Amino acid sequence: MRPVYVIGAGMTRFGRSEWPLVDLAATASLAALHHANLGKIPVSAVVVANMGAGRINRQTAIASALVDRLSLWPAAAEAVENGPASGASAVKVGYQAIASGMADVVLVTGVEMMRAVDGLEATDFVASLSHPEAEYIYGVTLPSLAGLFARLFMERYGVERRHLALVAIKNHDNAMKNPYAHIHQPVTMEGILTSPEAVVNNPPVAEPLHMFDCCPVSDGAAALVLASEDVAAKLGAPRVLVAGIGQATDTHAVHERQDPTDLKAVRLASAAAFDKAGVKPSDIDVAELHDAFTILEIAESEAAGFFKVGQAHKAVERGETKLTGKLPINPSGGLKAKGHPVGATGVAQLVELAWQLRGEAGGRQIAKAKTAYACNFGGFGNNVVATVLRKEER
Amino acid sequence: MSEKVYAFRCMTCGLVSYPKHAVCPKCRGETFEPVEIAGEGDVLTYTDVYALAVDYETRYLRLAIVELDGGMRVTGQLLDEHPKIGKRVRTTVGVVREPAGKPIYGLQFVPA
Repeated sequence: MRPVYVIGAGMTRFGRSEWPLVDLAATASLAALHHANLGKIPVSAVVVANMGAGRINRQTAIASALVDRLSLWPAAAEAVENGPASGASAVKVGYQAIASGMADVVLVTGVEMMRAVDGLEATDFVASLSHPEAEYIYGVTLPSLAGLFARLFMERYGVERRHLALVAIKNHDNAMKNPYAHIHQPVTMEGILTSPEAVVNNPPVAEPLHMFDCCPVSDGAAALVLASEDVAAKLGAPRVLVAGIGQATDTHAVHERQDPTDLKAVRLASAAAFDKAGVKPSDIDVAELHDAFTILEIAESEAAGFFKVGQAHKAVERGETKLTGKLPINPSGGLKAKGHPVGATGVAQLVELAWQLRGEAGGRQIAKAKTAYACNFGGFGNNVVATVLRKEER
Repeated sequence: MSEKVYAFRCMTCGLVSYPKHAVCPKCRGETFEPVEIAGEGDVLTYTDVYALAVDYETRYLRLAIVELDGGMRVTGQLLDEHPKIGKRVRTTVGVVREPAGKPIYGLQFVPA
């Protein structure tokens, strides 16, 4: 296996896109390609992460369309669909292509245009990943799975709504420092929980989760350029190594899990990624977690091994996961405030981490960040991809 | 559309699982017989979901995961004004969704 490096990273601002799907993908791709500064070195393959263009944008074979828009022929091209974990899955495919020797330079672009349809249709589109006979027919949506999970998790571990609110406040604060974030709106405990107005400001979505526990519906694209060691050396690029990738699956129906509060696929995928990278959770300097719902940031941070089970909400309370804390989580603003264009998310998490490791994260830069971790959570935890990036000194 | 909901008993090891798998998660057996899901159990967790899917005109839906006596769990709609974790409920079958006026039957839970 050959080592694989991230040599370029770029994205569009998340939110509502003024551009059609392929233009959105091309914009992020060009940002990453310019960042990589490849010169005459050709892109050998393009991998596109996307969940729903065939359904919500009525466009298929979008990897071929992106190659054409970027005039990258005859580069190989394919799209990867793995639900909300499509992004990190596509990075894994690009990684495998380089590690195996099949390719030297791979462009990985995640894109989703969810606001092309109304909110009801967007919710139904994502809900269609749930089990068709055992979940979907009952009116199950992703927020409802998160609500079922949250009620059980909170009851078992003494997590309160104010802990969830602290996650939202932190991620909104971080997003204020991220020009690419969908939402630039600071929120306060009074505004979303403790004042009389909070009932109006923060209505229930899937009890016990409220609006400020849930990510917005976003359009957006993010891209990485991956390269072999030879190419990375030739370009003299900062050496951001893809140190380890782990992936694990779990039962489709959430009720079938032995312990539905145990995010087993996060646990197994993370352990595999750490093992491959030769690091421990305590070696991680910065993490991007899949906080489609605030409760998930708490639960994933435990399943990944950063905190003992049932303890993460206390770490949040102590401020340990803030930008200034021991382990900053979601410096980008997370899915909560940066936004969640599903196919783009897993790539965008790694874009943020690549920038952090290169010291290019602006006002949200974590000083001396060397080792970074991302959790891209597909389905409702039934397909998870964990990635460790590490900066090598030259 | 059936007005009964079925789990599947593995003909090799006897494990009853739901939903259907083509291969038994315990012994990897490949033959099953359907078993009607009916009985009592405890509410494991529930939610009132306001972010509704298409096909619903109510303001919210109350959904639950119930652990049936015997240990198998099921997801369904909770018809209970006073839901609580651990509360005893029994299963019933009713219309759980009606896309384009076509009723779909599924599990509902009522206080035992």
